[in-house]
Amino acid sequence: MARIEISSLAKVYPGPKPVNALDHVSLDVAEGEFIALLGPSGCGKSTLLNILAGFESKTEGEVRFDGQPVGKAGPDRGVVFQEAALFPWLTVFDNVTFGPRMQGVAKPVYEKIAHDMLALVGLRDFAHAYPSQLSGGMRQRVGIARVLVMKPRALLMDEPFGALDAQTRLSMQELLLEVWQRLKTTVVFVTHDIDEAVLLADRVCIMSARPARIARQINIDLPRPRSIDDLTTPAFIRYKAEIMQVMRDAHPAKAIAAE
Amino acid sequence: MTHGAHEAVTTSARPSAYGLAAFRGGLHLRKLAAGAVLPLLVILLWQLAGTGGSLFGGVLPTPDRVASAWYTWAFGNRGMGMNPYSGSWFDSVVFSTTRVLQGFAVALLVGIPTGIMIGWNRLVAGAVDPALQMLRPIPITAWLPFAIAVFGISSIGAVFLIALGVFYPVVINTTQGARHVERNLVRAAQMMGASRLDILLRVVIPASLPSIFTGVRIGLGTGWTAVIVAEMIAVKSGLGYVLWDAYYLGRMDVVIADMATIGIMGLLSDQLILMIERYALSWRLVNSNR
Repeated sequence: MARIEISSLAKVYPGPKPVNALDHVSLDVAEGEFIALLGPSGCGKSTLLNILAGFESKTEGEVRFDGQPVGKAGPDRGVVFQEAALFPWLTVFDNVTFGPRMQGVAKPVYEKIAHDMLALVGLRDFAHAYPSQLSGGMRQRVGIARVLVMKPRALLMDEPFGALDAQTRLSMQELLLEVWQRLKTTVVFVTHDIDEAVLLADRVCIMSARPARIARQINIDLPRPRSIDDLTTPAFIRYKAEIMQVMRDAHPAKAIAAE
Repeated sequence: MTHGAHEAVTTSARPSAYGLAAFRGGLHLRKLAAGAVLPLLVILLWQLAGTGGSLFGGVLPTPDRVASAWYTWAFGNRGMGMNPYSGSWFDSVVFSTTRVLQGFAVALLVGIPTGIMIGWNRLVAGAVDPALQMLRPIPITAWLPFAIAVFGISSIGAVFLIALGVFYPVVINTTQGARHVERNLVRAAQMMGASRLDILLRVVIPASLPSIFTGVRIGLGTGWTAVIVAEMIAVKSGLGYVLWDAYYLGRMDVVIADMATIGIMGLLSDQLILMIERYALSWRLVNSNR
């Protein structure tokens, strides 16, 4: 499990008109904590995630992962992308075992873990299908399974359910709750969906408009294990109303679009 | 866990696959028949327009004359009578096809790795791409005197020209493919601990395959063009040589039979590459069958 410490992180994209994406963001994530970064599209929350993942460089500040400055991308930080980003020329099974194969894990070992993880995400019968044969939700299950087989110390999820229809999104959120309940991995989850943030996270960090800062952090003290039935409880609605108010203040024009 | 239960799955449509295949087979035949109407009509009109076996005052032979010349060219006795082409059709086809295959092999062996490196590595792109872009506007026909001067009247000169003609489309399309690999696929591979070499071999190359095949198919057309041009001037055998030679001897029936032969060979080789492509990119076809 991991501890993420971000202090005074800034990111400027250089160019004729430099873009300030992150404005000295500070954030600590405890071991096993599920944190949601909430904000409208283009507010810089994905930039934050990409720096954490090691895909992008920072301009200023410090990002530590288990006490070490984060370097290039690696299997200790498993990333789940919005459009799954599976290799279309590999079967589901070969996609899921890609990580262990790259790391030189012995075949009998990774085959067993891969089968376990495919079962966990409900894709046991689709090991030999190609991604193009799967629905969007199923592809994202593969995207989650291929990260879980590496036993990462943190899961970084970049609007993983943003492209799915409402029904599928609910079932994916429930799946993620189940998986997280079992594995208790540290999760940083980027989303623009308030319901999703409150349902999943221990703590919701609301990002301001660009250049992004963390406008407000709200602890979600809903009891666990949670399920989609929580979406309609009074406590849930109170959190939602509070967050909407903060978002309205942080993004005067965008608050409604974000909902 | 039952999460997969309420999501649509394309593979569940499998039971009807046989019926679908049969339907497609019927469609294929009908398409073929529809495609044959126009050529047959042209041949018929061409036949009817001729008098005494030719059109335009003896310049253009009618289809029946072409067919009979073709038959003699293919199955006639060698060295008998006044017909220098009698029985030599298969040899000519083999000569030309072999040269195309040789030039093709050289072009793919050099062009695909070069394109991958240009597309993937900025240093290589900076060093190689400008030179390529400068040489590319020179048409392969302009290389003919160069090829003859360097290789003489030989098969190697023809193979050189074919290789050159195939090389450009292959290298350009491969470069495009390697340059535009989806960024998140590369990031996903990095995140899973893949080395730079792993990313090149397991992500960039498979992701470039569709573009590579596009280049190969375009290159095949250039390859047949190049072999005919080269054989007309730089070699003394093959379909291109016969084409020009028959023209000089006033054998327009052989000229037209030769043209038809080239067309058929081009079509067959393109179909062959399509079959290989379908096999190599079967992961993508699964998608288009939806």
